[in-house]
Amino acid sequence: MSEGDQELRALMIRYQDGSLEAFQEIYTQLAPGVRRYLSHLAGGSAIADDLLQETFLQMHRSRAAYNPKYAVRPWVFGLARNVFLMNRRAARQWAKVHESREDLPEFPVLPEADRLGSQGEIRRCIADLPPEQAEALLLHHEWGFSFEEIAGMLGIRAAAARARASRGMADLRVALNSLQKART
Amino acid sequence: MMDRSPKPPEALMRAIAQDLKPVRPSPQPLHLALRMVPLALLVSSLILLAIGPRHDAGILGPLLTWGASAAQFVLAIALVWIAAHESIPVGRLPRHIVYSAAVAASLVVVFISLLTFSTNPANEPLLRVPPRINEILRASPWIMGFACGIGSTLAGGILVLFFSWVFRNSLATRPAEAGALYGAGAGLAINAGWRIACPVSTPWHALGAHGAAIIATVILGALIGRFLGNRRLHIGGRRS
Repeated sequence: MSEGDQELRALMIRYQDGSLEAFQEIYTQLAPGVRRYLSHLAGGSAIADDLLQETFLQMHRSRAAYNPKYAVRPWVFGLARNVFLMNRRAARQWAKVHESREDLPEFPVLPEADRLGSQGEIRRCIADLPPEQAEALLLHHEWGFSFEEIAGMLGIRAAAARARASRGMADLRVALNSLQKART
Repeated sequence: MMDRSPKPPEALMRAIAQDLKPVRPSPQPLHLALRMVPLALLVSSLILLAIGPRHDAGILGPLLTWGASAAQFVLAIALVWIAAHESIPVGRLPRHIVYSAAVAASLVVVFISLLTFSTNPANEPLLRVPPRINEILRASPWIMGFACGIGSTLAGGILVLFFSWVFRNSLATRPAEAGALYGAGAGLAINAGWRIACPVSTPWHALGAHGAAIIATVILGALIGRFLGNRRLHIGGRRS
């Protein structure tokens, strides 16, 4: 277990004991990544900000559901995904998710793909990937989750998570290469 | 647009600060499922304690009478374990495991019912009750069907309510599915006890009355799971 995971677990235990400072620290450490993940899920919609707050509110309401045996980051990311899916099911919010937005989701540029294209191109190509591939790709390469953790979040086998991420990366490379060829 | 700095917004901090009482961490799925065993065993044994084991238990033998019910009970707890996995954001099991368990549970009930019938096709409602009542039941077998269907649905309903209370902090992505799983667990656990007491082994009774009760607890679990899920993840944050 990494030092960061240990620290987050210790914070989560303190938070379950009633420490507001521990909650603040958890928020500070996790909110930026969770927001980017939600932004990716919501296709760049501004609803990601609302969902971020909803995720942490939900974490608070369900803090008893956390068991110190679980790693905190995948638990919170899984919760964020849960909040997103539940909100998507509500027709009114679904319409809000699909409000058009000109800029692309703020998901990050993968270091592995960095030299193959500009940041804008990479973002556009990731947005064009099948959603399940893009999600597995980002969860693994950007947020550093293991395939076992991704499998637990998505309800699939670890091998399937690995396959989705590597297919996504392969498709991303192909798309970026063709963009590069088109440029030259 | 909201402040994107990593500092929590004030409204969120206020909401958190209002309720910061210490909480006890939930057990892991296996521990949670095992904690259900005593109550599930007690509720599923009620009918057995009330009217005793079926009159043909000797013909069926201990394996088909008690062993088959024990297997069904273990499967019921396995379904609760899967529901507990579904209820945590990092522990979801692959879909094929969830669906295989649901199919296996259905097949086990059908198989045990048919095996019981083929071993001893008992269709006489011989209960350890006054002979007059046995006469009425013999004349109108549908009464027995209704009694088993409604009785095991009520007993299963009690267990579903208990499971729903235990799963009140569930963070299932599909709360109705998690509810259906523990509902199926409740139905199966009740049926495990009920089938040892019920003296009728005809397929229409075993699958029609007892099977209908299992389906009813699955539906009840799904409805409660969905209700709790919607209440917990209140869309639009109305509870915030």
